[in-house]
Amino acid sequence: MPAIVKISNLDKYFGRLHVLKNIALDIEAREVVCLIGRSGSGKSTLLRCINFLEEPSHGTIEVDGIRVAGGEKGKEHRQLVHDVRLKTGMVFQEFNLFPHMSVLENVIEGPITVKNMDRSQAIKIAEMNLDRVGLLFKKDEYPMRLSGGQKQRVAIARALAMEPRVMLFDEPTSALDPELIGEVLNVMKNVANEGMTMLVVTHEMGFAREVADRVIVMAEGEIIEQGVPDALFKSPKDERTKALIDRYRAAEESGREPDQPPQKQPRLYTLE
Amino acid sequence: MGVSTSARDPKPPLSQAELLFQAQKRKERNFRMHVALSWFVLLAILFFLFSGQDIKIGNSETGLVFQTIKLDTQFISENMVFIAGGLGETIRISLLAITFATVLALLAALGRLSTFPPLYALSTFYVSLIRGTPLYLQIFFFFLALPQLGIILPGLWAGVIALGLNYGAYMSEIFRAGLASVGKGQREAAIALGMTPSQTMMRIVLPQALRFAIPPTGNEFIAMTKDSALVAATGFVHELMWRAVKVGRAQFHNLEALIMAAIFYWIMTILLSYLQSRLEANLSKGDR
Repeated sequence: MPAIVKISNLDKYFGRLHVLKNIALDIEAREVVCLIGRSGSGKSTLLRCINFLEEPSHGTIEVDGIRVAGGEKGKEHRQLVHDVRLKTGMVFQEFNLFPHMSVLENVIEGPITVKNMDRSQAIKIAEMNLDRVGLLFKKDEYPMRLSGGQKQRVAIARALAMEPRVMLFDEPTSALDPELIGEVLNVMKNVANEGMTMLVVTHEMGFAREVADRVIVMAEGEIIEQGVPDALFKSPKDERTKALIDRYRAAEESGREPDQPPQKQPRLYTLE
Repeated sequence: MGVSTSARDPKPPLSQAELLFQAQKRKERNFRMHVALSWFVLLAILFFLFSGQDIKIGNSETGLVFQTIKLDTQFISENMVFIAGGLGETIRISLLAITFATVLALLAALGRLSTFPPLYALSTFYVSLIRGTPLYLQIFFFFLALPQLGIILPGLWAGVIALGLNYGAYMSEIFRAGLASVGKGQREAAIALGMTPSQTMMRIVLPQALRFAIPPTGNEFIAMTKDSALVAATGFVHELMWRAVKVGRAQFHNLEALIMAAIFYWIMTILLSYLQSRLEANLSKGDR
């Protein structure tokens, strides 16, 4: 099967800091890829380079046949970047719903403003996608009145309404209370089962094991290991992968995010 | 018997939280009532001070007599219409100037957030120049100094331009804060959807920034309404202040004339403050 996303020779510098080192990565159509790694490993930056929220320093990104070279300027480059953004939908850790618009307005905003779609058509598509994430009944609410999990599901519907070829998820459950993570992962699983190509930066090992076709491990700006989830989680080759998986296991047992520092013991007041 | 007494009681006893809430409400109501009463007393004292009544203490020969300020009521009633006639002009200047100031403030705020050095410089240069010189001087500059360069502005327009430039500089800070209050994530979400920078600004950033900026802009408008009095100094704009000074000087009744103008300004600002608080209440409800 041909690759829908092709990344080659990708480098990214923040000033002198070399955060992505010569990354090469192909993703096939309908493939679900999870990106894992410690914070600072470059996994979010890689994701954000694909839709040029971060401009790559050099290398090329190709999405669904549109090939863009990083580090260029000019009108032609901007047009290519715009085309790539139309092919990709993005879901953020902090949801980033537009607070001044209702749920429905959030979802029709892209199709109307960017694609010049007429309103009734946009509403039809929006309602279909809100139904897909199970939140059609909330279409007239404002984001402020939704739970974190609901916000993220609306954000997924907003991205899907643009009918992208690839969905990018940047730690979609990291800002959620533990009891709200499941509903978002379920929606993501459904989207994956419908055949969407997905690249997911996540710490959710369970999701990766169940849904991903491939898990990619990053450290210090490089891809250090990749493979089928079961094999990779069972017998990691790289020491750093091993350490990362141990951390995830420990975090799962103690019920907290792996990247967070251990919580302080709650202070007990005692009578002296 | 315990059962029968509770059966006679029609309402269930209030919970502790409800009792505390009620006590709090009562306390607030009490406070507001006392404030209103005190306002009334202060107004009455002020009114009495200008009532012209004499207060005698003791008998008429050896006692003390306190005089309050006596205003010429005939002058007041004769000139009421003339001075009130300036209200329209005052409101006109204020509305024109606030419109001009809003446009300037928005441009200056955008310049301030620009990464293009000349634009940033232009914005900070404008704000520094205007904030570094007195408003009174600016009004005279447009009215008296420009004619020397062959540019003759009517008094009204000199005033509107000077007030607009001046308030635009101050308000640019409000707008800048408003624009900065819209998080980076909002822009990123818009960009990821494929919006252009101008669509992102118009559809996502500005609406949120304006909502943030409207209440403090109301304050500026109230302040400007009063500063419009400075335009009287040009001598060619017949607004409230100019009219009060004119009749006051001519008949040596400055006291009465200025008090009348003061009352008009005061009533206007009270009305505007009321409108502003209504607007704020409207904005804060719903979807922030």
